[in-house]
Amino acid sequence: MASKNGIDRRDEDEVCPVCKSSRYLNPNMRFLINPECYHKMCESCVDRIFSSGPSSCPVAGCRKTLRKARFRAQTFEDIGVEREVDIRRRVMHILNRREEEFDSKRAYDDFLEQREEMIANLVHRTDVAKTEAQLQKYASVNIQSIRANQAIEEQEASSFAARMTQEQEEARLRRQAAREQLENERREMQAGREDMISRLAAGSSADAAAIAREGHKVLLKKSSARRSEEDRIRQKQAALRGSETKRGGSSLTTADTAGPSDGGLIKGLRRIKTPEPEKPYDPFMGYVPEKRDYYALQPSYPSTYLDRVKNDTRTAAGGYDLQEYYSRTLVEAFAGLGCFIGEEVAQREAATSGLGLKPAATTSAAMAAGDES
Amino acid sequence: MKFFIDDLPVLFPYPRIYPEQYAYMCDLKKTLDVGGHCVLEMPSGTGKTVSLLSLIVAYQQHYPEHRKLIYCSRTMSEIEKALAELKALMKHRTQELGFEEEFRALGLTSRKNLCLHPSVKREKSGTVVDARCRSLTAGFVKEKKERGEEVDLCVYHENLDLLEPHNLVPPGVFTLDGLLRYGEEHKQCPYFSARRMMPWCNVIIYSYHYLLDPKIAERVSRELSKDCIVVFDEAHNIDNVCIESLSIDISEDSLRKATRGASNLERKIEEMKSTDAEKLQNEYSKLVEGLQQAEQAREEDQFISNPVLPDDLLKEAVPGNIRRAEHFISFLKRFIEYLKTRMKVTHTISETPPSFLTHLKDLTYIERKPLRFCAERLTSLVRTLELMNIEDYQPLQEVATFATLVATYDKGFVLILEPFESEAATVPNPILHFTCLDAAIAIKPVLDRFYSVVITSGTLSPLEMYPKMLGFNAVMQESYSMTLARRSFLPMIVTRGSDQAQVSSSFGIRNDPGVVRNYGTLLTEFARITPDGIVVFFPSYLYMESIISMWQGMGILDQIWNYKLILVETPDAQESSLALETYRTACCNGRGAILLCVARGKVSEGIDFDHHYGRAVLCIGVPFQYTESRILKARLEFLRENYRIRENDFLSFDAMRHAAQCLGRVLRGKDDYGVMVLADRRFERKRPQLPKWINQAMLDSETNLSTDMAVSNAKNFLRTMAQPFKARDQEGISTWSLADIERHEAKRKTEEERIMQQQFANGHNMDGIVKSTAMEVVVDEFDDDIDEDLMMLDPK
Repeated sequence: MASKNGIDRRDEDEVCPVCKSSRYLNPNMRFLINPECYHKMCESCVDRIFSSGPSSCPVAGCRKTLRKARFRAQTFEDIGVEREVDIRRRVMHILNRREEEFDSKRAYDDFLEQREEMIANLVHRTDVAKTEAQLQKYASVNIQSIRANQAIEEQEASSFAARMTQEQEEARLRRQAAREQLENERREMQAGREDMISRLAAGSSADAAAIAREGHKVLLKKSSARRSEEDRIRQKQAALRGSETKRGGSSLTTADTAGPSDGGLIKGLRRIKTPEPEKPYDPFMGYVPEKRDYYALQPSYPSTYLDRVKNDTRTAAGGYDLQEYYSRTLVEAFAGLGCFIGEEVAQREAATSGLGLKPAATTSAAMAAGDES
Repeated sequence: MKFFIDDLPVLFPYPRIYPEQYAYMCDLKKTLDVGGHCVLEMPSGTGKTVSLLSLIVAYQQHYPEHRKLIYCSRTMSEIEKALAELKALMKHRTQELGFEEEFRALGLTSRKNLCLHPSVKREKSGTVVDARCRSLTAGFVKEKKERGEEVDLCVYHENLDLLEPHNLVPPGVFTLDGLLRYGEEHKQCPYFSARRMMPWCNVIIYSYHYLLDPKIAERVSRELSKDCIVVFDEAHNIDNVCIESLSIDISEDSLRKATRGASNLERKIEEMKSTDAEKLQNEYSKLVEGLQQAEQAREEDQFISNPVLPDDLLKEAVPGNIRRAEHFISFLKRFIEYLKTRMKVTHTISETPPSFLTHLKDLTYIERKPLRFCAERLTSLVRTLELMNIEDYQPLQEVATFATLVATYDKGFVLILEPFESEAATVPNPILHFTCLDAAIAIKPVLDRFYSVVITSGTLSPLEMYPKMLGFNAVMQESYSMTLARRSFLPMIVTRGSDQAQVSSSFGIRNDPGVVRNYGTLLTEFARITPDGIVVFFPSYLYMESIISMWQGMGILDQIWNYKLILVETPDAQESSLALETYRTACCNGRGAILLCVARGKVSEGIDFDHHYGRAVLCIGVPFQYTESRILKARLEFLRENYRIRENDFLSFDAMRHAAQCLGRVLRGKDDYGVMVLADRRFERKRPQLPKWINQAMLDSETNLSTDMAVSNAKNFLRTMAQPFKARDQEGISTWSLADIERHEAKRKTEEERIMQQQFANGHNMDGIVKSTAMEVVVDEFDDDIDEDLMMLDPK
């Protein structure tokens, strides 16, 4: 009842179209609608008709079968708008492309118009079947991007809500601080005045003026000191706030992966390259030791010394793997076989001399070009 | 009278000038030379307007740039007065110079005041006149006529097209009346003549709103060049004008009308689709291309325009989901329905635009972007549909403007939803206040665009408040005192009644019978001793009513009736003007009258009580605002957080500017005199916040008086004032002739020289020159006869 919209306040003489009881007789009457046919009826009618399972709408001429579970309170006064918003909710849920996903603003605008057109079709019941089919197709093809965009939207909404609550809290604190400060000031002023009066009462009449002047001066000084203090605090707060907003801003990401095809419904979508799936970390930069085909690792090598070890369960229990031993030995044995140091040196020398030659070549080419022209 | 300020020859239309006028002109010239904005406070009734005009006109004519003057004032009568002053000034210039300068000055006011069409001008409401005028003068109506359709046209407007477009009216100064007469003679529309002649005018005089209200400014003041000199006269309320121009109130009724308007539009679109689908298609394709700006529609046809939008946004194309007319209508309907839903609350809600937008999006899927373009899209649609009866769409336009504003500004605005009119009401009458909290938003375009903006009024103290609130840096801030040959007004602060009990309108004791009785005796005593009219200001209608009824019970009113007639201001404008009329009659004959009015009402703002219409003004209580109002609270908080103006500082500033405005009502010139009484204990500490000219005239001994002391002071004062006073006595002191100015200049120069030389002499020990110049400075008291001798002594 005490929702954000508060309780309904409709005319006194509003009548339930089904049971004809009016608000005048039953002030607590609530009206419900069913998004199936949007016919309005009062709560007691809903209870009476639909408690025992689905039944047809009691409004004359409407043959729709309604269920009790789907009855809900009406948000908008205008039933047409209510229905439109319901349809819109469904369509927007599916066609939820974001502006970032489009090549140009124009393309995005075209998309918006197209969406609007589809909603209008559904609302005005023109081409319903075709539009529905389009929607279905789009939804099935683009299920991933729809999900992704929904997630982003949710994230945005929640971060916005968090920011709002934080701001409200800050404002409340500031308000409180201002009030306290005012109060302090007043109290100080009062105390100062009382102090002055007591000193005046104690002191001789000769220096009364001096005491009064002094008291006044102290008050002035205090207030100016307070001002500067206030300035400092404010500056600090402002700096803090600045850093906070910076942090808040960076947390929002708009990573998005659009599906390669969108069912052909929407044009002008930006081709977004899906990033390569991340590979496991490769410390040898593509160098695979096993690939060197100087040798092939056998499952076992006959050796009198090793055969004993192979069959001994105690070594296996300690984690000693004979396979590892084989591979290590073989790598060590063949290490350096693929390297030809002489060749590499020659290559390096050729590269450095080539670099030295290049500028000369280009200048001569440029000169030649100049001659030609 | 002709004199020079630096190298600028100024022609002043009177033979004598006040010293403060001279100082004002000097400072004004400095500001114009430097460029930048200034805040000048000049006592009321010292000829602010004429000095301003004569300096700026001289400036215009002397320098080759011919910078245009835009003079903004508050009310019709002030505009008319300024035009009359200007006319007199130009006449004087012609006489002095011996030839007529090429000069054009026009005033602009609403269609209602300038219409000549025989049937349209009889309409009473301004909006009806506007709408009917549009239906007779819009561009498409003319096109229809040319196509041979049977439509009515305004003959006055049609005749304008026969004239040269830059010479619709001959050069010269036209008062509003003059323009009407000229229009009648030549059968041409005064309103459109003025509008179209604006680019060719040297001086334009119109109301604040034409420059500040973004909805109007866009249309009227767009073509003004950057080097214009903008003057805001009577600008002490400028922050409120700025705020009001961007605030919108939406009631349930206006929403209902907006719905009706939307349905009408829908019907019109259907009609047009069947008859003239091409036009809609044209509009659509224009919107697709984002070319709405390129369209050459006559600007006066426009029915609404954009509230301040960033320029880059204006160039952007309209979002796709409101491009088609029918989509836009369904969009509007949804928005209106949403607002209706929000209206059904039982408790007050205040929220920021971002949170409103989120809730809106949750419920109706309306996003921020299309909302921003709402006003513009509606304008375009209305133009395409060629609607005739535009006044029906006023509420719809309001909703659209609201939509645009709420989506454009995150900060500086607040939405307040009040379900009940007052605390005690049980019948809901919800109103959605969309309130601007930041005065700087509306005035910022003006300040940014023009090099020199002059903000001036009789009461602007404390001066530093205005630049702070409006967000600019003033190159010149000056408050002028009033030079007087005799003490012609007597400001006093009464803090106690005759029984030494303190008087105050503070909430705790305002209904205390003792306080009310003391206020009553104060008024009775002043009614007894003051000749002619007395004006009394109360902080609010509510307080005034309660105090009057208590006085009635105490028999105080009966006593006052022995001396004067009592008249009361009411919220109703017609009743008040009748009361004012009666008051004036009573002041002109008989023993005078007392006008009881409210410090924030109509009387306190625009109506002068010069001479016998006001010999005493009593300010009963400090005119604080009603601090429980949500809107005020929001604004105070905004000021505290963004401009670092503390709540109490602002409230007290606001109260004191209204009090000063009230006091200024009785003194309209130097030969006028009057008593000013501030009757509240709290005024004693707020004295520094009064304008300099009032503050200076207040003796320290008169800041803490009881009723009987104040009465005896006033008695003395009035007796002195009753003595004959010759105009000659003022000469040289509070009015200057040409010789006085020259003497002043010479004195200033020698003073400067002396300082220079002293610095020089400090280095070089040259006493002789210092002595000789110092001799001239000694001469202080002079007579007209020795003027010439003195001039010969001048080093020039």
